[in-house]
Amino acid sequence: MNAQLPFQDFQFALASHLRHPHRVPRPVGISARRTAIYRGLVRNNLEGFLLACFPITHRLLGARRWPRLVDVFFREARCHTPYFREIPREFLHWLLESPSLPVTFPAWLPELAHYEWVELAVDVMDAPAPVYNPTGNLLDEQPVLAAVAMNLAYVWPVHRISLKWRPRKPSATHLLVFRDVHEVVQFIALNPVSARLVALLQAAEGELSGRDACLQVAQELQHPEPELLLPHGAHLLEQLRTAGAILGSKK
Amino acid sequence: MKSTAISGAGLGFRRELIPELKAGVPRSVSFFELAPENWAGMGGSSAYDLRAFTERYPFVCHGLSLDLGGPSALDESLLQRTRSFMQQHGITLYTEHLSWCADDGHLYDLLPIPLTADAVHWVAARIRRAQDILGMQIGIENASTYLIPLGAEMTEPEFIRAVVDEADCLLHLDVNNIVVNSLNHDFNASGFLRALPLDRTCYIHVAGHYVEPDGLVIDTHGADVIDPVWQLLKEAYALCGAVPTCLERDFNFPELGVLGQEVEQIATLQADYAMHKNISQRAVA
Repeated sequence: MNAQLPFQDFQFALASHLRHPHRVPRPVGISARRTAIYRGLVRNNLEGFLLACFPITHRLLGARRWPRLVDVFFREARCHTPYFREIPREFLHWLLESPSLPVTFPAWLPELAHYEWVELAVDVMDAPAPVYNPTGNLLDEQPVLAAVAMNLAYVWPVHRISLKWRPRKPSATHLLVFRDVHEVVQFIALNPVSARLVALLQAAEGELSGRDACLQVAQELQHPEPELLLPHGAHLLEQLRTAGAILGSKK
Repeated sequence: MKSTAISGAGLGFRRELIPELKAGVPRSVSFFELAPENWAGMGGSSAYDLRAFTERYPFVCHGLSLDLGGPSALDESLLQRTRSFMQQHGITLYTEHLSWCADDGHLYDLLPIPLTADAVHWVAARIRRAQDILGMQIGIENASTYLIPLGAEMTEPEFIRAVVDEADCLLHLDVNNIVVNSLNHDFNASGFLRALPLDRTCYIHVAGHYVEPDGLVIDTHGADVIDPVWQLLKEAYALCGAVPTCLERDFNFPELGVLGQEVEQIATLQADYAMHKNISQRAVA
């Protein structure tokens, strides 16, 4: 690492003052009015990117805890992405990894924030357009999932949390969030068996037939007669096709 | 096939404007400008929307996060991605701010570089590296600032000229930033403009700004362009020709028609300049 150049001393001094204005003094010769302008611009700009992604987290934390959380994030975290749309992801990682935050919040808050971030992530994720037969047989052939799909497992029922309702105890929740053929983000709540089936199809990347995926799930459930589950499996796959999560079969 | 060359008057391409732009682009708009940090690597409906416009109009890339003056390592993967994004959309001009935006992490806003010789060498080397990766000369923009670091060894125009010379890059002239800085730091805007290396000008910005109750002017890009900025733009055209010029508007959007009129005003000034030039050339002949 090169030695720090003289002009860079100023940069580090100004940046650390902006991150922590009450603890770190202003750089020499700069008025409080002028550093306050920068502090406001930088901090509020950062908050703006977070507000756009985390409206529910913001409202649930309220006018006292939310700004404190943003302040601590600005002070403590070091974001490395140059892409503004990825700032919420940096916030989320920081939230999930910070061992002790001075802001107290409910146990489900990090999962709720994750769930809010997923909508943005699925909306803008880049993925090649898949080739598929929309009317193909989903049991005999290999189902193709939506190009952008996240199969999520939460400890808390994050999709039900609102200003009017907050969970008191955990309740395992499986959600499939995907972008449909019209590029609109859709959410489906799955039961654990369907979630497992989707996970197998997703991991196989179009190389597993619906039948083989269903039989594997049946085997994992130690079902005495796996074949008996196939009609249920076929029905589930069709439901997912109707919802737009399965596009069709591999071509 | 559209031309990738930039000329005339343009408008900042913002997601908020897309629904209105889809209904019809104002006739005065000859090109658009975007921030690669907002659009490169995007999928989904935003990517389709962008493609629909880059197929019809030339675009300029105006970077925000390259951190040319910053102390951290230059973000070469951002440059690589920007390069392929520009190729993908047929974009041939890239500009960035002569400022810094990160210490050991991004601050996502533009901060003033101390006006010293060591800073000139540091920034110029980074611009050279950026130009190597992008495979083209880039334009650097004179930034708006609200403070001037102590220990300046030269004036800001001297600093800009030294960087441009050492990096062999182009000048992206922001006339609004000159007006904002002249009010905040109490100097003569026209004198500042004339001291810049204007022969290197590749691109111009105009924008509106916000005045705080105590008179400090904030470069928000959220208001109409004011008269002193138009005057300075005219002066710039007289000095360096009718360089392609973009109206920046980042929030507090009026109807698209109102922005179209401001872009029209740019185009009118450009046409006036061209006419005067023809007349004076004829007079000389």
